[in-house]
Amino acid sequence: MRPRLTTFAAALALLLLAAPFAGLAIATDWRHLGFARGDGDAVAVSLGLSLVALALIVALGTPLAWWLARHRVRGQWLVDALLLLALLTPPLAMGLLLATMYGPYGPAGQWLERAGLLLTNSAPAFVIAQFYAALPYYVLAARAAFEGVPRELEQIALTLGHSPARSFFRVSLPLARLGLAAAVALAWVRALGEFGVVLIVAYYPQGIPVKLWTNLQDTGLSAVYPLLWVFFLVALPLPLALGLAVRRRLA
Amino acid sequence: MRIDYRIEHPVALSASFEVEGFTVLLGASGEGKSLLLRAIAGLLPARGEPFGGLPPQQRAVGYLPQGHALFPHLNAWQNVAFALRGADRRRQAVAWLERVGLAALAERRPAQLSGGQQQRVALARALARRPQLLLLDEPTSALDPATRDDVLAELIAEVHAAGIPALAASHDPALAAVADRLVVMHGRRIVQAGAPWEVHARPANGAVARLLGHRNVHGGRLVGEPGAQRLFWPEGNVALPVETGLPGDTAVDWHIAPEAIELHEAGGAAAGDADGVVVAATEVRQAGAHGSYLGLRCGQARLWARSPPWSLDMAGTIRLRLPPTAIRCWPRD
Repeated sequence: MRPRLTTFAAALALLLLAAPFAGLAIATDWRHLGFARGDGDAVAVSLGLSLVALALIVALGTPLAWWLARHRVRGQWLVDALLLLALLTPPLAMGLLLATMYGPYGPAGQWLERAGLLLTNSAPAFVIAQFYAALPYYVLAARAAFEGVPRELEQIALTLGHSPARSFFRVSLPLARLGLAAAVALAWVRALGEFGVVLIVAYYPQGIPVKLWTNLQDTGLSAVYPLLWVFFLVALPLPLALGLAVRRRLA
Repeated sequence: MRIDYRIEHPVALSASFEVEGFTVLLGASGEGKSLLLRAIAGLLPARGEPFGGLPPQQRAVGYLPQGHALFPHLNAWQNVAFALRGADRRRQAVAWLERVGLAALAERRPAQLSGGQQQRVALARALARRPQLLLLDEPTSALDPATRDDVLAELIAEVHAAGIPALAASHDPALAAVADRLVVMHGRRIVQAGAPWEVHARPANGAVARLLGHRNVHGGRLVGEPGAQRLFWPEGNVALPVETGLPGDTAVDWHIAPEAIELHEAGGAAAGDADGVVVAATEVRQAGAHGSYLGLRCGQARLWARSPPWSLDMAGTIRLRLPPTAIRCWPRD
Protein backbone atom coordinates (compact mmCIF):
# COMPACT_ATOMS: atom_id res chain seq x y z
CA MET A 1 0.00 0.00 0.00
CA ARG A 2 1.30 3.47 -0.80
CA PRO A 3 1.93 5.75 2.19
CA ARG A 4 -0.74 8.29 1.20
CA LEU A 5 -3.37 5.59 0.84
CA THR A 6 -2.41 4.19 4.27
CA THR A 7 -2.74 7.62 5.87
CA PHE A 8 -6.12 8.13 4.25
CA ALA A 9 -7.39 4.72 5.40
CA ALA A 10 -6.12 5.30 8.95
CA ALA A 11 -7.77 8.74 9.11
CA LEU A 12 -11.04 7.29 7.85
CA ALA A 13 -10.95 4.56 10.49
CA LEU A 14 -10.37 7.13 13.23
CA LEU A 15 -13.18 9.30 11.89
CA LEU A 16 -15.57 6.35 11.87
CA LEU A 17 -14.55 5.50 15.44
CA ALA A 18 -15.22 9.07 16.59
CA ALA A 19 -18.49 9.55 14.71
CA PRO A 20 -20.92 7.86 17.18
CA PHE A 21 -19.53 9.80 20.14
CA ALA A 22 -19.72 13.07 18.24
CA GLY A 23 -23.27 12.09 17.31
CA LEU A 24 -24.23 11.66 20.94
CA ALA A 25 -22.77 15.07 21.84
CA ILE A 26 -24.68 16.70 18.97
CA ALA A 27 -27.98 14.86 19.52
CA THR A 28 -28.17 15.55 23.25
CA ASP A 29 -30.63 18.37 24.03
CA TRP A 30 -28.49 20.07 26.67
CA ARG A 31 -31.13 22.67 27.67
CA HIS A 32 -33.82 20.19 28.47
CA LEU A 33 -31.69 17.40 29.89
CA GLY A 34 -34.03 15.47 32.17
CA PHE A 35 -33.93 11.94 33.49
CA ALA A 36 -36.74 9.47 32.90
CA ARG A 37 -38.53 8.01 35.89
CA GLY A 38 -36.46 5.30 37.54
CA ASP A 39 -33.13 6.31 35.91
CA GLY A 40 -31.67 7.11 39.32
CA ASP A 41 -32.62 3.70 40.67
CA ALA A 42 -31.05 2.06 37.63
CA VAL A 43 -27.75 3.85 38.28
CA ALA A 44 -27.82 2.79 41.93
CA VAL A 45 -28.62 -0.84 41.01
CA SER A 46 -25.90 -0.97 38.36
CA LEU A 47 -23.18 0.56 40.53
CA GLY A 48 -24.04 -1.30 43.71
CA LEU A 49 -24.52 -4.76 42.26
CA SER A 50 -21.61 -4.44 39.78
CA LEU A 51 -19.34 -3.74 42.73
CA VAL A 52 -20.57 -6.91 44.44
CA ALA A 53 -20.06 -8.90 41.23
CA LEU A 54 -16.58 -7.38 40.79
CA ALA A 55 -15.63 -8.33 44.34
CA LEU A 56 -16.74 -11.92 43.70
CA ILE A 57 -14.89 -12.03 40.38
CA VAL A 58 -11.63 -10.78 41.93
CA ALA A 59 -11.96 -13.06 44.98
CA LEU A 60 -12.54 -16.23 42.94
CA GLY A 61 -10.84 -15.31 39.66
CA THR A 62 -7.46 -14.22 41.05
CA PRO A 63 -6.53 -17.61 42.60
CA LEU A 64 -7.64 -19.35 39.40
CA ALA A 65 -5.61 -16.97 37.22
CA TRP A 66 -2.58 -17.48 39.48
CA TRP A 67 -2.93 -21.24 39.36
CA LEU A 68 -3.29 -21.20 35.58
CA ALA A 69 -0.22 -19.00 35.20
CA ARG A 70 2.00 -21.13 37.44
CA HIS A 71 0.97 -24.76 36.86
CA ARG A 72 0.97 -27.10 33.94
CA VAL A 73 -1.12 -30.22 34.43
CA ARG A 74 -2.29 -33.05 32.21
CA GLY A 75 -5.52 -32.07 30.51
CA GLN A 76 -4.67 -28.37 30.79
CA TRP A 77 -6.25 -27.85 27.38
CA LEU A 78 -9.62 -28.78 28.92
CA VAL A 79 -9.33 -25.90 31.41
CA ASP A 80 -8.23 -23.53 28.65
CA ALA A 81 -11.10 -24.70 26.45
CA LEU A 82 -13.63 -24.17 29.26
CA LEU A 83 -12.42 -20.60 29.80
CA LEU A 84 -12.58 -19.84 26.08
CA LEU A 85 -16.01 -21.45 25.84
CA ALA A 86 -17.32 -19.19 28.60
CA LEU A 87 -15.68 -16.22 26.91
CA LEU A 88 -16.99 -17.00 23.43
CA THR A 89 -20.55 -17.99 24.35
CA PRO A 90 -22.85 -15.19 23.11
CA PRO A 91 -24.43 -13.28 26.05
CA LEU A 92 -27.97 -14.26 25.09
CA ALA A 93 -26.97 -17.94 25.01
CA MET A 94 -25.20 -17.59 28.35
CA GLY A 95 -28.38 -16.05 29.80
CA LEU A 96 -30.40 -19.01 28.58
CA LEU A 97 -27.86 -21.44 30.05
CA LEU A 98 -28.03 -19.66 33.41
CA ALA A 99 -31.85 -19.74 33.32
CA THR A 100 -31.64 -23.46 32.62
CA MET A 101 -29.29 -24.14 35.52
CA TYR A 102 -30.31 -21.55 38.14
CA GLY A 103 -33.90 -20.83 37.02
CA PRO A 104 -36.89 -21.92 39.13
CA TYR A 105 -37.03 -25.29 37.37
CA GLY A 106 -33.29 -25.76 37.00
CA PRO A 107 -31.38 -28.37 39.03
CA ALA A 108 -29.36 -25.79 40.99
CA GLY A 109 -32.22 -23.28 41.03
CA GLN A 110 -34.68 -25.60 42.78
CA TRP A 111 -32.15 -26.54 45.38
CA LEU A 112 -31.10 -22.91 46.01
CA GLU A 113 -34.68 -21.72 46.16
CA ARG A 114 -35.34 -24.19 48.97
CA ALA A 115 -32.34 -22.64 50.72
CA GLY A 116 -33.99 -19.23 50.30
CA LEU A 117 -31.88 -17.92 47.40
CA LEU A 118 -34.02 -16.94 44.43
CA LEU A 119 -31.89 -16.66 41.30
CA THR A 120 -34.47 -15.15 38.94
CA ASN A 121 -35.35 -11.47 38.79
CA SER A 122 -33.56 -10.72 42.04
CA ALA A 123 -30.43 -8.90 43.15
CA PRO A 124 -28.47 -12.21 43.47
CA ALA A 125 -29.63 -13.14 39.95
CA PHE A 126 -28.34 -9.79 38.65
CA VAL A 127 -24.96 -10.40 40.34
CA ILE A 128 -24.76 -13.98 39.00
CA ALA A 129 -25.45 -12.73 35.46
CA GLN A 130 -22.67 -10.14 35.68
CA PHE A 131 -20.33 -12.65 37.32
CA TYR A 132 -20.70 -15.08 34.41
CA ALA A 133 -20.41 -12.32 31.83
CA ALA A 134 -17.17 -10.86 33.17
CA LEU A 135 -15.30 -13.70 34.93
CA PRO A 136 -13.64 -15.23 31.83
CA TYR A 137 -12.31 -11.82 30.73
CA TYR A 138 -10.88 -11.19 34.17
CA VAL A 139 -9.26 -14.63 34.49
CA LEU A 140 -7.60 -14.49 31.07
CA ALA A 141 -6.29 -10.95 31.59
CA ALA A 142 -5.09 -11.71 35.14
CA ARG A 143 -3.39 -14.90 33.99
CA ALA A 144 -1.46 -12.92 31.38
CA ALA A 145 -0.49 -10.41 34.09
CA PHE A 146 0.85 -13.16 36.38
CA GLU A 147 2.64 -14.88 33.50
CA GLY A 148 4.56 -11.65 32.99
CA VAL A 149 6.12 -11.93 36.48
CA PRO A 150 9.51 -13.68 36.25
CA ARG A 151 9.32 -16.86 38.26
CA GLU A 152 12.91 -16.37 39.33
CA LEU A 153 11.95 -13.28 41.35
CA GLU A 154 9.35 -15.26 43.31
CA GLN A 155 11.95 -17.96 43.96
CA ILE A 156 14.49 -15.38 45.10
CA ALA A 157 11.90 -14.12 47.59
CA LEU A 158 11.70 -17.69 48.96
CA THR A 159 15.48 -17.98 49.29
CA LEU A 160 15.43 -14.67 51.20
CA GLY A 161 13.32 -16.35 53.86
CA HIS A 162 9.79 -15.41 52.82
CA SER A 163 6.91 -17.89 52.72
CA PRO A 164 5.18 -18.54 49.38
CA ALA A 165 2.24 -16.40 50.55
CA ARG A 166 4.47 -13.43 51.45
CA SER A 167 6.34 -13.87 48.18
CA PHE A 168 2.99 -13.67 46.36
CA PHE A 169 1.88 -10.50 48.14
CA ARG A 170 5.24 -8.72 48.10
CA VAL A 171 6.59 -9.76 44.68
CA SER A 172 4.02 -11.32 42.34
CA LEU A 173 1.17 -8.95 43.15
CA PRO A 174 3.16 -5.68 42.93
CA LEU A 175 4.87 -6.77 39.71
CA ALA A 176 1.57 -7.83 38.13
CA ARG A 177 -0.33 -4.79 39.45
CA LEU A 178 -0.73 -2.93 36.17
CA GLY A 179 -1.98 -6.00 34.31
CA LEU A 180 -4.26 -6.91 37.23
CA ALA A 181 -5.67 -3.39 37.32
CA ALA A 182 -6.37 -3.64 33.60
CA ALA A 183 -8.09 -6.99 34.24
CA VAL A 184 -10.25 -5.41 36.98
CA ALA A 185 -11.14 -2.51 34.67
CA LEU A 186 -12.05 -4.91 31.89
CA ALA A 187 -14.24 -6.94 34.25
CA TRP A 188 -15.88 -3.73 35.50
CA VAL A 189 -16.84 -2.62 31.99
CA ARG A 190 -18.01 -6.10 31.05
CA ALA A 191 -20.15 -6.42 34.19
CA LEU A 192 -21.60 -2.92 34.10
CA GLY A 193 -22.39 -3.04 30.40
CA GLU A 194 -23.79 -6.57 30.33
CA PHE A 195 -27.18 -6.65 28.66
CA GLY A 196 -27.88 -10.06 27.13
CA VAL A 197 -27.26 -12.27 30.15
CA VAL A 198 -28.95 -9.81 32.53
CA LEU A 199 -31.99 -9.44 30.25
CA ILE A 200 -32.75 -13.17 30.52
CA VAL A 201 -32.17 -13.90 34.21
CA ALA A 202 -32.65 -10.48 35.87
CA TYR A 203 -34.97 -8.15 33.95
CA TYR A 204 -35.62 -6.81 37.42
CA PRO A 205 -33.98 -5.13 39.27
CA GLN A 206 -33.23 -2.91 36.29
CA GLY A 207 -29.65 -1.72 35.87
CA ILE A 208 -28.50 0.91 33.38
CA PRO A 209 -28.40 -1.30 30.22
CA VAL A 210 -31.89 -2.77 30.66
CA LYS A 211 -33.28 0.66 31.69
CA LEU A 212 -31.78 2.17 28.51
CA TRP A 213 -33.58 -0.54 26.57
CA THR A 214 -36.95 0.09 28.24
CA ASN A 215 -36.57 3.89 27.87
CA LEU A 216 -35.94 3.33 24.17
CA GLN A 217 -38.97 1.06 23.87
CA ASP A 218 -41.30 3.26 25.92
CA THR A 219 -40.33 6.77 24.80
CA GLY A 220 -37.73 6.73 22.03
CA LEU A 221 -34.10 7.70 21.46
CA SER A 222 -34.33 11.13 23.10
CA ALA A 223 -35.12 9.47 26.43
CA VAL A 224 -31.88 7.49 26.56
CA TYR A 225 -29.33 10.32 26.26
CA PRO A 226 -29.20 11.48 29.90
CA LEU A 227 -28.77 7.95 31.21
CA LEU A 228 -26.28 7.19 28.44
CA TRP A 229 -24.11 10.09 29.60
CA VAL A 230 -24.20 8.78 33.17
CA PHE A 231 -23.29 5.34 31.89
CA PHE A 232 -20.20 6.70 30.14
CA LEU A 233 -19.23 8.75 33.17
CA VAL A 234 -19.38 5.86 35.64
CA ALA A 235 -18.19 3.02 33.42
CA LEU A 236 -15.32 4.44 31.46
CA PRO A 237 -12.93 6.77 33.37
CA LEU A 238 -11.18 3.98 35.32
CA PRO A 239 -10.64 1.59 32.38
CA LEU A 240 -9.71 4.47 30.09
CA ALA A 241 -7.04 5.75 32.49
CA LEU A 242 -5.65 2.22 33.00
CA GLY A 243 -5.65 1.48 29.29
CA LEU A 244 -3.66 4.64 28.65
CA ALA A 245 -1.28 3.83 31.52
CA VAL A 246 -0.60 0.37 30.07
CA ARG A 247 0.06 1.91 26.64
CA ARG A 248 2.49 4.39 28.20
CA ARG A 249 4.29 1.60 30.06
CA LEU A 250 4.64 -0.38 26.84
CA ALA A 251 5.98 2.69 25.00
CA MET B 1 31.31 -27.18 54.16
CA ARG B 2 30.60 -30.54 52.57
CA ILE B 3 28.13 -30.56 49.65
CA ASP B 4 26.55 -33.89 48.78
CA TYR B 5 23.60 -33.74 46.38
CA ARG B 6 21.76 -36.04 44.03
CA ILE B 7 19.31 -34.78 41.37
CA GLU B 8 17.06 -37.03 39.30
CA HIS B 9 15.16 -34.46 37.25
CA PRO B 10 15.41 -32.81 34.74
CA VAL B 11 18.81 -34.54 34.39
CA ALA B 12 20.42 -37.17 36.59
CA LEU B 13 23.33 -35.66 38.45
CA SER B 14 25.20 -36.35 41.64
CA ALA B 15 27.96 -34.31 43.19
CA SER B 16 29.95 -34.52 46.37
CA PHE B 17 32.71 -32.07 47.23
CA GLU B 18 34.07 -29.64 49.79
CA VAL B 19 33.43 -25.87 49.71
CA GLU B 20 36.15 -23.72 51.33
CA GLY B 21 36.33 -19.95 51.01
CA PHE B 22 35.54 -18.91 47.45
CA THR B 23 35.06 -22.21 45.62
CA VAL B 24 34.47 -22.30 41.88
CA LEU B 25 32.50 -25.14 40.32
CA LEU B 26 33.96 -25.17 36.82
CA GLY B 27 32.15 -26.90 33.97
CA ALA B 28 30.93 -26.42 30.43
CA SER B 29 27.44 -25.09 29.70
CA GLY B 30 24.80 -27.78 30.06
CA GLU B 31 26.66 -29.78 32.73
CA GLY B 32 23.96 -28.99 35.28
CA LYS B 33 25.96 -26.59 37.48
CA SER B 34 23.03 -24.17 37.71
CA LEU B 35 20.71 -27.07 38.52
CA LEU B 36 22.99 -28.09 41.37
CA LEU B 37 22.95 -24.55 42.82
CA ARG B 38 19.16 -24.40 42.51
CA ALA B 39 18.90 -27.79 44.20
CA ILE B 40 21.05 -26.61 47.12
CA ALA B 41 18.83 -23.49 47.39
CA GLY B 42 15.80 -25.80 47.54
CA LEU B 43 14.28 -24.59 44.27
CA LEU B 44 14.55 -27.99 42.59
CA PRO B 45 13.53 -31.39 43.97
CA ALA B 46 16.70 -33.16 45.09
CA ARG B 47 18.16 -35.16 47.93
CA GLY B 48 21.28 -34.27 49.83
CA GLU B 49 23.08 -32.36 52.51
CA PRO B 50 23.25 -29.64 53.74
CA PHE B 51 19.66 -28.37 54.13
CA GLY B 52 18.20 -31.67 52.85
CA GLY B 53 14.41 -31.74 52.87
CA LEU B 54 13.90 -28.12 53.97
CA PRO B 55 11.74 -25.70 51.96
CA PRO B 56 13.75 -22.87 50.33
CA GLN B 57 12.63 -20.23 52.83
CA GLN B 58 14.18 -22.21 55.68
CA ARG B 59 17.55 -22.78 54.02
CA ALA B 60 20.27 -20.43 55.16
CA VAL B 61 21.67 -19.82 51.68
CA GLY B 62 22.31 -16.60 49.80
CA TYR B 63 21.50 -17.36 46.19
CA LEU B 64 22.67 -15.00 43.43
CA PRO B 65 21.28 -16.21 40.10
CA GLN B 66 22.65 -15.23 36.74
CA GLY B 67 21.44 -11.70 35.97
CA HIS B 68 21.18 -11.01 39.74
CA ALA B 69 17.33 -11.02 39.87
CA LEU B 70 16.90 -7.73 41.72
CA PHE B 71 13.28 -6.76 42.29
CA PRO B 72 12.57 -4.12 39.63
CA HIS B 73 9.80 -2.47 41.66
CA LEU B 74 12.09 -1.78 44.60
CA ASN B 75 15.13 0.49 44.84
CA ALA B 76 18.55 -0.70 46.02
CA TRP B 77 18.00 -0.40 49.80
CA GLN B 78 14.49 -1.86 49.56
CA ASN B 79 15.94 -4.83 47.68
CA VAL B 80 18.41 -5.41 50.51
CA ALA B 81 15.74 -4.77 53.16
CA PHE B 82 13.63 -7.49 51.54
CA ALA B 83 15.81 -10.01 53.38
CA LEU B 84 15.42 -8.18 56.71
CA ARG B 85 12.67 -7.99 59.33
CA GLY B 86 11.78 -5.42 61.91
CA ALA B 87 11.53 -1.65 62.23
CA ASP B 88 15.26 -1.14 61.78
CA ARG B 89 15.26 -2.62 58.27
CA ARG B 90 16.14 0.52 56.41
CA ARG B 91 19.17 1.42 58.53
CA GLN B 92 20.48 -2.15 58.34
CA ALA B 93 19.93 -2.30 54.58
CA VAL B 94 21.88 0.89 54.04
CA ALA B 95 24.64 -0.49 56.29
CA TRP B 96 24.86 -3.59 54.08
CA LEU B 97 24.99 -1.39 50.98
CA GLU B 98 27.79 0.58 52.62
CA ARG B 99 29.74 -2.63 53.04
CA VAL B 100 29.66 -3.22 49.30
CA GLY B 101 30.42 0.46 48.63
CA LEU B 102 27.00 1.42 47.27
CA ALA B 103 25.39 3.46 50.07
CA ALA B 104 25.33 6.49 47.76
CA LEU B 105 23.12 4.62 45.30
CA ALA B 106 20.60 3.35 47.87
CA GLU B 107 17.69 5.18 46.25
CA ARG B 108 18.40 3.97 42.70
CA ARG B 109 16.21 1.45 40.93
CA PRO B 110 18.00 -1.68 39.58
CA ALA B 111 17.56 -0.46 35.99
CA GLN B 112 19.67 2.59 36.86
CA LEU B 113 22.63 0.50 38.07
CA SER B 114 25.46 -1.07 36.07
CA GLY B 115 25.90 -4.85 35.91
CA GLY B 116 28.64 -4.78 38.56
CA GLN B 117 26.59 -2.53 40.86
CA GLN B 118 23.55 -4.78 40.49
CA GLN B 119 25.71 -7.73 41.44
CA ARG B 120 26.89 -5.96 44.59
CA VAL B 121 23.30 -5.06 45.56
CA ALA B 122 22.36 -8.72 45.03
CA LEU B 123 25.36 -9.73 47.15
CA ALA B 124 24.36 -7.29 49.92
CA ARG B 125 20.80 -8.67 49.81
CA ALA B 126 22.06 -12.27 49.99
CA LEU B 127 24.44 -11.42 52.87
CA ALA B 128 21.68 -9.56 54.75
CA ARG B 129 19.85 -12.87 55.00
CA ARG B 130 22.84 -14.07 57.10
CA PRO B 131 23.42 -17.27 55.09
CA GLN B 132 25.70 -20.16 55.96
CA LEU B 133 26.53 -20.63 52.28
CA LEU B 134 26.60 -18.27 49.29
CA LEU B 135 25.62 -19.64 45.87
CA LEU B 136 26.64 -17.63 42.81
CA ASP B 137 25.52 -18.64 39.34
CA GLU B 138 27.89 -17.46 36.56
CA PRO B 139 28.92 -14.34 38.47
CA THR B 140 31.14 -13.10 35.62
CA SER B 141 28.63 -13.44 32.79
CA ALA B 142 27.12 -9.95 33.04
CA LEU B 143 30.35 -8.07 33.69
CA ASP B 144 32.06 -5.62 31.40
CA PRO B 145 35.39 -7.17 30.24
CA ALA B 146 37.30 -3.94 30.93
CA THR B 147 36.39 -3.81 34.64
CA ARG B 148 35.77 -7.51 35.21
CA ASP B 149 38.99 -8.35 37.03
CA ASP B 150 38.47 -5.52 39.51
CA VAL B 151 34.79 -6.34 40.07
CA LEU B 152 35.78 -9.96 40.66
CA ALA B 153 38.54 -8.99 43.07
CA GLU B 154 36.05 -6.90 45.05
CA LEU B 155 33.48 -9.68 45.03
CA ILE B 156 35.99 -12.15 46.37
CA ALA B 157 37.30 -9.69 48.96
CA GLU B 158 33.72 -9.15 50.18
CA VAL B 159 33.05 -12.88 50.34
CA HIS B 160 36.25 -13.32 52.36
CA ALA B 161 35.31 -10.41 54.63
CA ALA B 162 31.89 -11.95 55.25
CA GLY B 163 33.59 -15.20 56.28
CA ILE B 164 30.93 -17.32 54.57
CA PRO B 165 31.82 -20.19 52.23
CA ALA B 166 30.79 -19.40 48.67
CA LEU B 167 30.16 -21.71 45.74
CA ALA B 168 30.27 -20.09 42.29
CA ALA B 169 29.21 -22.06 39.24
CA SER B 170 31.04 -20.90 36.12
CA HIS B 171 32.54 -21.87 32.79
CA ASP B 172 34.92 -18.91 32.96
CA PRO B 173 38.63 -19.84 33.34
CA ALA B 174 39.31 -16.30 34.61
CA LEU B 175 37.04 -16.93 37.60
CA ALA B 176 38.59 -20.36 38.14
CA ALA B 177 42.00 -18.68 38.28
CA VAL B 178 41.07 -16.56 41.32
CA ALA B 179 39.28 -19.26 43.33
CA ASP B 180 40.43 -20.53 46.72
CA ARG B 181 39.37 -23.97 45.65
CA LEU B 182 38.45 -25.41 42.28
CA VAL B 183 35.94 -28.20 41.63
CA VAL B 184 35.71 -29.36 38.02
CA MET B 185 32.62 -30.97 36.60
CA HIS B 186 32.57 -32.96 33.39
CA GLY B 187 30.12 -35.57 32.11
CA ARG B 188 27.68 -34.71 34.96
CA ARG B 189 30.14 -35.65 37.68
CA ILE B 190 32.99 -34.12 39.64
CA VAL B 191 36.26 -35.10 37.93
CA GLN B 192 38.78 -33.06 39.90
CA ALA B 193 38.97 -30.85 42.98
CA GLY B 194 41.77 -28.96 44.65
CA ALA B 195 43.63 -25.66 44.88
CA PRO B 196 43.66 -23.85 41.51
CA TRP B 197 47.45 -24.09 41.18
CA GLU B 198 47.29 -27.85 41.76
CA VAL B 199 44.55 -28.35 39.20
CA HIS B 200 46.30 -26.07 36.70
CA ALA B 201 49.59 -27.95 37.18
CA ARG B 202 47.99 -31.38 36.79
CA PRO B 203 44.64 -31.36 34.99
CA ALA B 204 43.04 -34.78 35.45
CA ASN B 205 42.22 -35.09 31.75
CA GLY B 206 41.97 -33.22 28.48
CA ALA B 207 38.45 -31.96 29.25
CA VAL B 208 39.66 -30.36 32.48
CA ALA B 209 42.58 -28.76 30.61
CA ARG B 210 40.16 -27.30 28.07
CA LEU B 211 37.89 -25.96 30.82
CA LEU B 212 40.87 -24.32 32.50
CA GLY B 213 41.45 -22.42 29.27
CA HIS B 214 44.55 -24.28 28.20
CA ARG B 215 45.18 -23.94 24.48
CA ASN B 216 46.45 -26.73 22.24
CA VAL B 217 44.39 -29.58 23.67
CA HIS B 218 43.76 -32.13 20.91
CA GLY B 219 42.80 -35.75 20.41
CA GLY B 220 45.20 -38.45 19.16
CA ARG B 221 46.36 -42.02 19.46
CA LEU B 222 49.56 -43.49 20.86
CA VAL B 223 51.41 -45.87 18.59
CA GLY B 224 54.16 -48.17 19.90
CA GLU B 225 55.21 -49.01 23.43
CA PRO B 226 56.96 -46.59 25.84
CA GLY B 227 60.53 -45.96 24.76
CA ALA B 228 59.84 -45.70 21.05
CA GLN B 229 56.40 -44.20 21.15
CA ARG B 230 54.75 -41.81 18.72
CA LEU B 231 51.59 -39.77 19.00
CA PHE B 232 49.47 -39.88 15.87
CA TRP B 233 47.51 -36.63 15.55
CA PRO B 234 44.81 -37.25 12.90
CA GLU B 235 43.70 -33.61 12.52
CA GLY B 236 47.26 -32.44 11.94
CA ASN B 237 48.06 -35.62 9.99
CA VAL B 238 51.44 -36.09 11.69
CA ALA B 239 53.04 -38.56 14.08
CA LEU B 240 55.03 -36.88 16.86
CA PRO B 241 57.60 -38.57 19.10
CA VAL B 242 56.41 -38.58 22.71
CA GLU B 243 57.51 -39.92 26.07
CA THR B 244 54.65 -41.34 28.12
CA GLY B 245 54.09 -44.21 30.47
CA LEU B 246 50.95 -45.25 28.66
CA PRO B 247 50.66 -48.48 26.67
CA GLY B 248 50.51 -48.43 22.87
CA ASP B 249 47.30 -48.07 20.89
CA THR B 250 45.71 -45.82 23.51
CA ALA B 251 43.28 -43.06 22.51
CA VAL B 252 44.47 -39.90 24.25
CA ASP B 253 43.92 -36.19 24.67
CA TRP B 254 47.22 -34.37 24.49
CA HIS B 255 48.43 -30.88 25.25
CA ILE B 256 51.44 -28.73 24.67
CA ALA B 257 51.92 -25.27 26.18
CA PRO B 258 52.21 -22.52 23.52
CA GLU B 259 55.48 -21.44 25.15
CA ALA B 260 56.99 -24.91 24.62
CA ILE B 261 56.56 -24.95 20.84
CA GLU B 262 59.78 -24.10 19.01
CA LEU B 263 59.41 -22.07 15.83
CA HIS B 264 61.86 -22.13 12.91
CA GLU B 265 61.84 -19.94 9.85
CA ALA B 266 60.77 -21.87 6.80
CA GLY B 267 64.12 -21.58 5.05
CA GLY B 268 66.24 -22.41 8.10
CA ALA B 269 67.91 -25.81 8.34
CA ALA B 270 67.85 -26.00 12.13
CA ALA B 271 66.32 -29.27 13.26
CA GLY B 272 65.09 -29.53 9.73
CA ASP B 273 64.85 -33.27 9.54
CA ALA B 274 64.38 -33.89 13.21
CA ASP B 275 61.45 -35.82 14.51
CA GLY B 276 58.37 -33.92 15.62
CA VAL B 277 58.59 -31.14 13.08
CA VAL B 278 55.31 -29.85 11.75
CA VAL B 279 54.88 -27.50 8.82
CA ALA B 280 52.15 -24.94 9.50
CA ALA B 281 50.65 -21.88 7.87
CA THR B 282 50.47 -18.73 9.97
CA GLU B 283 46.79 -17.90 10.32
CA VAL B 284 46.36 -15.17 12.90
CA ARG B 285 48.56 -13.05 15.12
CA GLN B 286 47.21 -12.25 18.56
CA ALA B 287 48.84 -9.36 20.41
CA GLY B 288 47.31 -8.98 23.86
CA ALA B 289 48.11 -7.56 27.27
CA HIS B 290 49.67 -10.89 28.28
CA GLY B 291 51.95 -11.46 25.28
CA SER B 292 51.82 -12.19 21.58
CA TYR B 293 50.74 -15.48 20.12
CA LEU B 294 50.41 -17.01 16.69
CA GLY B 295 47.54 -19.14 15.50
CA LEU B 296 49.05 -21.76 13.22
CA ARG B 297 47.03 -23.90 10.85
CA CYS B 298 48.18 -27.56 10.89
CA GLY B 299 45.98 -29.67 8.65
CA GLN B 300 42.46 -29.32 10.00
CA ALA B 301 43.45 -28.06 13.43
CA ARG B 302 45.18 -25.05 14.94
CA LEU B 303 48.15 -24.79 17.28
CA TRP B 304 48.93 -21.69 19.29
CA ALA B 305 52.55 -20.73 19.85
CA ARG B 306 54.28 -17.75 21.42
CA SER B 307 55.19 -15.23 18.73
CA PRO B 308 58.89 -15.43 17.73
CA PRO B 309 61.14 -12.38 18.07
CA TRP B 310 61.83 -12.18 14.33
CA SER B 311 59.43 -10.62 11.83
CA LEU B 312 57.10 -13.05 10.13
CA ASP B 313 55.87 -13.43 6.63
CA MET B 314 52.20 -13.90 7.52
CA ALA B 315 51.42 -15.46 4.14
CA GLY B 316 54.17 -18.07 4.37
CA THR B 317 54.68 -21.33 6.19
CA ILE B 318 56.62 -21.97 9.34
CA ARG B 319 58.20 -25.06 10.87
CA LEU B 320 57.34 -26.08 14.40
CA ARG B 321 59.06 -28.51 16.69
CA LEU B 322 57.05 -30.01 19.51
CA PRO B 323 59.58 -31.27 22.08
CA PRO B 324 58.57 -34.80 23.17
CA THR B 325 58.96 -34.00 26.87
CA ALA B 326 56.61 -30.99 26.59
CA ILE B 327 53.70 -33.06 25.30
CA ARG B 328 51.35 -34.31 27.99
CA CYS B 329 48.96 -37.17 27.23
CA TRP B 330 45.84 -38.31 29.11
CA PRO B 331 44.07 -41.53 28.20
CA ARG B 332 40.50 -40.85 27.05
CA ASP B 333 37.64 -42.24 29.12
